[in-house]
Amino acid sequence: MIDVKNVSMKFDLGIEKNFSFKLLFISLFNKKKRVKKEYFWALSKVGFHVKKGEVVGLIGSNGAGKSTLLKVVSGVMKPTKGKVVCKGSIAPMIELGAGFDQELTARENIYLNGAVLGYSKKFLDSKFEEIVEFSELREFLDVPVKNFSSGMVAKLAFSISTIVDPEILIVDEILSVGDIKFQEKSRHKMMEMIHGGTTVLYVSHSLDSIQELCDKVIWLDHGTIKMIGETKEVCDAYYLEQMGMTKEQMKQKQKKEKQKNS
Amino acid sequence: MKTIKNIYGNFKHYAFLMQQLIMRDFKVKYKRSVLGVVWSLLYPLLMMAVMALVFSQMFKFRMEGVNYLVYLMTGLIIFNYFNEASNTAMTSVVQNFTLLTKVYIPKYIFPISKCLFVGINFLLTLIPLLLVILFTGSGDTKCIINVWYILLPYIFICMVLFTIGVGLFLSSVSVFFRDMFYIYGIVMTIWQYFTPIFYDINILPKKLQFIMHFNPLYIFINSARDIILFAKSPSIIALLACGASAIVALFIGGIVFKKNQDKFIYYA
Repeated sequence: MIDVKNVSMKFDLGIEKNFSFKLLFISLFNKKKRVKKEYFWALSKVGFHVKKGEVVGLIGSNGAGKSTLLKVVSGVMKPTKGKVVCKGSIAPMIELGAGFDQELTARENIYLNGAVLGYSKKFLDSKFEEIVEFSELREFLDVPVKNFSSGMVAKLAFSISTIVDPEILIVDEILSVGDIKFQEKSRHKMMEMIHGGTTVLYVSHSLDSIQELCDKVIWLDHGTIKMIGETKEVCDAYYLEQMGMTKEQMKQKQKKEKQKNS
Repeated sequence: MKTIKNIYGNFKHYAFLMQQLIMRDFKVKYKRSVLGVVWSLLYPLLMMAVMALVFSQMFKFRMEGVNYLVYLMTGLIIFNYFNEASNTAMTSVVQNFTLLTKVYIPKYIFPISKCLFVGINFLLTLIPLLLVILFTGSGDTKCIINVWYILLPYIFICMVLFTIGVGLFLSSVSVFFRDMFYIYGIVMTIWQYFTPIFYDINILPKKLQFIMHFNPLYIFINSARDIILFAKSPSIIALLACGASAIVALFIGGIVFKKNQDKFIYYA
């Protein structure tokens, strides 16, 4: 269960233009360039509730606040205002392989990354074979990860982070990992987890996969919830707005396509 | 009481991660070097040899009735521990930002694991120290292994806790104020000369000698020297000062870190 109550997230844009002697010197002569406090609300007053076992999709254009929302829910960031309540263990699959050390071998990285994700040694020992099997990287177990291709790194990372049966799964666009065979396998694995009653928060730009997986969709726009509800309804509305079309145009387009096909 | 229980529970939960991080540091540190971990033993020995040569031959330092090699070595390994551990702890949070912005991990893990990792290295440097104790000096200057050695672990633990406190403080300050990396380099150089590693405290003017008693590194080094060189117990006050500096540093470092850790992420 995830309960997001009225969450707002403020970023201070002034931080990048840090206080420094250089800026101080400039501002002495140029009043316009004085450092002002600038804020950016990545999220404002976002609130929703995800029931246990529900699969919720997040859509929205780039910079709408999707990833920020995931980070707030997974506890990486503390919201400026509001509160997030999560019941159950969380498996964040936000950026795969973030915990890898390039110098270490795949075998060592399985343990290191597992520890980063909060697994115990006993658990990793018992699941080690399964991880290796799923990643299809048995031959490369003792090769440093820096020599891996990006696809191989992603496969290994996916295998490690999906080995648990978490109560809450947070996914940021990772189904397109590895080659075709592995993509199919990872999709299957995800479906398995979803059907096993896991609560899922899923971000993707692929409306197809959202429609396939989700029970409910949240549309974020400039840090606020623009629409929340039935998957089909929200996806259609989102698609229309993004393409700048009205409902009639959409219907016509669909008609044309049908005619073409027949 | 509840917070202590919380901290302990957290620690237990993340002990495996801590162990993995320390192992990672260890594996990466000597990767591709031929001598590998032998360097941990060799390095302090060579440092000592160079310093001994410079100060006893070039500058004609004399300390009557004292085994100068052991004197140097004790100061050197304690100071080197503090120097390396506090430096790596300081950069640890900034270095691990890629990780911290993606997964939730208690952030204090990084500075603490660095201090412990360098601590393991410190334990290794005790081997060359032991060799120097056993095989150098004669007659008056011969050091003997004595019963007060049981106090050494206490001093070392205080030293590690003190370093963790300093590390927590530095790592959180350097997130907001990256100039700290450079400033600390200067601070460490001053601190090195202000700690009697190669000289005797008695050559300093009386005023400085008094101030020296507030230098925690001097307190640690002096206590260890009392035991190793002179086979006597450090004074009760010195032992209490060891514990006090550890607690004060931990307290200040812990509070500064805890107050600021939620803001770290914006400064990545």
